[in-house]
Amino acid sequence: MPELVRTPVMPGAVGDSQMTTETPPPVAMAPALGEKIAIRNLKFYYKKFLALKDVSLTLHDKRVTAFIGPSGCGKSTLLRCLNRMYDLYPEQRAEGEIVVDGRNILNPDVDLNLLRAKIGMVFQKPTPFPMSIFDNIAFGIKLYENLPRSALEDRVEQALERAALWGEVKDKLQQSGLGLSGGQQQRLCIARAIAVQPEILLLDEPCSALDPISTQRVEELIEELKNDYCIVIVTHSMAQAARSSDYTAFMYLGELIEYNATEIVFQNPTNKRTEDYITGRFG
Amino acid sequence: MIVFDMGRYRGRRVRGRVILSLSLVATVIGLFFLAMILGTLVFRGAAAWSWALFAQDTPPPGSAGGLRNAIFGSLAMTAVGIVVGTPIGLFAGTYLAEYSRESKLGQAVLFVNDILLSAPSIIVGLFIYQLMVANMHHFSGWAGGMALAILVVPVVVRTTVEMLKLVPNTLREAASALGTPKWKIVTRVTYRAALQGLLTGVLLAVARISGETAPLLFTSLNNQFWSTDMNAPMANLPVVIFQFALSPYDDWRQLAWGGALLITVAILCLNIAARTLAHWSSLRS
Amino acid sequence: MVAQAEQPSPATLKGPQGLYDALFGGATRIFAAAVLLILGGVVLSLVAGSIPTFRTFGLGFIWHDAWNPVKSDFGALVPIAGTFVTSLIAMAIGIPLSFGVAVFITEISPTWLKRPLSVAIELLAGIPSIIYGIWGLFVLAPFLQRYVEPALIDTLGQTPVIAPLFQGPPYGIGVLTAGIVLAIMVLPYISSIMRDVFETVPPILKESAYAIGCTTWEVVWNIVLPYTKVGVVGGIMLGLGRAMGETMAVTFVIGNSHRLAVSLLAPGQTISSALANEFTEAVDDTYQSALISLGLVLFVITFIVLALAKLMLIRLERQAGR
Repeated sequence: MPELVRTPVMPGAVGDSQMTTETPPPVAMAPALGEKIAIRNLKFYYKKFLALKDVSLTLHDKRVTAFIGPSGCGKSTLLRCLNRMYDLYPEQRAEGEIVVDGRNILNPDVDLNLLRAKIGMVFQKPTPFPMSIFDNIAFGIKLYENLPRSALEDRVEQALERAALWGEVKDKLQQSGLGLSGGQQQRLCIARAIAVQPEILLLDEPCSALDPISTQRVEELIEELKNDYCIVIVTHSMAQAARSSDYTAFMYLGELIEYNATEIVFQNPTNKRTEDYITGRFG
Repeated sequence: MIVFDMGRYRGRRVRGRVILSLSLVATVIGLFFLAMILGTLVFRGAAAWSWALFAQDTPPPGSAGGLRNAIFGSLAMTAVGIVVGTPIGLFAGTYLAEYSRESKLGQAVLFVNDILLSAPSIIVGLFIYQLMVANMHHFSGWAGGMALAILVVPVVVRTTVEMLKLVPNTLREAASALGTPKWKIVTRVTYRAALQGLLTGVLLAVARISGETAPLLFTSLNNQFWSTDMNAPMANLPVVIFQFALSPYDDWRQLAWGGALLITVAILCLNIAARTLAHWSSLRS
Repeated sequence: MVAQAEQPSPATLKGPQGLYDALFGGATRIFAAAVLLILGGVVLSLVAGSIPTFRTFGLGFIWHDAWNPVKSDFGALVPIAGTFVTSLIAMAIGIPLSFGVAVFITEISPTWLKRPLSVAIELLAGIPSIIYGIWGLFVLAPFLQRYVEPALIDTLGQTPVIAPLFQGPPYGIGVLTAGIVLAIMVLPYISSIMRDVFETVPPILKESAYAIGCTTWEVVWNIVLPYTKVGVVGGIMLGLGRAMGETMAVTFVIGNSHRLAVSLLAPGQTISSALANEFTEAVDDTYQSALISLGLVLFVITFIVLALAKLMLIRLERQAGR
């Protein structure tokens, strides 16, 4: 366990967000510069099965971190710990610490709804809500803010613009979200996630159901978005990780094997298993 | 970062919790009524249970007796209903599952069948009345049995279709590869594979018709005496309960509760048997 | 629809096996057609029996409110009104209850409790309607008479606008009681369809909603319900069809009065209770034909409702399949 280090508090690094009620979060361990999420000794259980074994790593703000590894290595499980999505399922539980902005989010008295407002997630398959395109975006905003109609419309437009979708849908905002193509739907889901102004974006294989052109557009989008968010992306495509991410974590059978800047992991991996995976010796 | 409007959030949270606790209340209400009905049934019905219930016939008002003739009548007419209704349901279901392939006839039959399944049973009584009772100029156990048969058919069709669909196609293909003619595939292979499921359907059909009163009201009518003549009005539990419960006589009312408990116990046992059978057959496959 | 993707189809055989094949296949087709014949027979017999009544009274029979066997003056208004009102009450009470049960079982209940709860609620469906009838008469009605109806008369019976609905001596039996019994009867049907339909919502869709911070209720109301609305409506209509056709439960507690009353606490009549009570007493042909005409009206109403329900559920199956 690293020593408690007091670093100078940077504006905006700690304390803006309120994940619980009024009391400000205690500064347990102020993160170092640029660090957004500190995962420490994370263990994850599906009933009795240990799916994540003592995972520790730090994710950086305004950067893209990719989790890669063969099927079943635990990368999606790890991602889903970051917004406590596993809480929906009673037979799943996590132990350890995940510190976001000075607060351990695995703590039982963390308010999950507020946590998830701060940490957005996009899933493998596009999941537009059964409502119009406009309502899909407005829905999340209305959960948290009571805006007059014009302000709401502006926010919806902003979100769709940022998701590079505005041009394609601005004339059909009242149509159902289900009428869009797969790639458009996924960008809609991304717009929906960023409309509630999170700080962290979790992307769980966001392009796996998309064609190559849509994939490319989403990747371009991620490249832009990283200027404002801490982005974590799970991908089974090594090429995608190499293209899109700044840091890469390679996982295997529930353990974190290697975590470093992407160029290093792909060109100069320190672990043999990483090298085997990268070079395709096993999938 | 969204400036959190904690007031708004708290409102959302409270609203959500209130409504969800209402759903708990609804479930408790449902269970309460279940307990209440079963409880009353057991409490008042058990008081009427004795050997006399099964040994003696329905008495005139003001004296003690039993339900022997009614029990027999119900059993007899249920048997008729099952014997007539099951083959019709079985073959129709076989057509839908094995031969139909989305034909217009098949779609129409499935649609109509599901409507018959939920249609008012008193209408069936009217139909058989006009068909049989009016023409024969008297009520009869046969008419009652036929009315029940019409109620059996949709239940058996539904379960047959579902059970036959569960039989894997590989089984049929293997038999076909041996050169087996289709009718033999269906009867020797598919039926045998789905046997437990088909029996479950029969049990469910029996449970369904056991409590039916309305269709018997003007087909078999009722009979206060012991009779095994199916060609005459026949005593049966539901109509006896109807008549006795609405009467002002205590003995009769007591017997009505006893009969009601009897029917409910029978239906519960049938349902349990059907579930166990379905469970066994799914364990084996 | 029954989907048989790759059913093996043996070539038409020659010889006796070919004949048996044809016979067997033909037999199944005939029996399938028999199902249609049953429906056809029911319709025909009802229509045939109703002709004398409609010839005498014309279509006005449907909204004529007299019912006098002595003078042979018959009208279907009171029974039809009773059928509708009792079913409406049953839906007003039954739909929220069923919804609550379905939401509880699918979203809130712990996993180990789901199966036993579902089985328990389905037991309610297995209880025959005559049991509901006698329970309603001997347990529910006295309770309503002693505690609930006087309270209703004193409170709702005094509020403007709805006061006429809650007037009259508290008999205990009547239209309201029948509606309550029907509500309990349709609860298992509607809630189990709702439950099945709620469970078709892809978990990933619900997770998306949780992921932006929705509460459980918000997920149900904004995601689950709109996604399943066709199935939910289909389930409700199925419950409605059953409520309208229900005979024994209603006959015991409705009071069997042919007077058209506004108050819900008054006794009334439904089509099926009229048939149950009077058909065997109907000695002359006009009387009998009037009752059969009631049966025809009931059949038409329930057929329409059930057919609509079925169409909606078929649409839902197709949607879920995609």
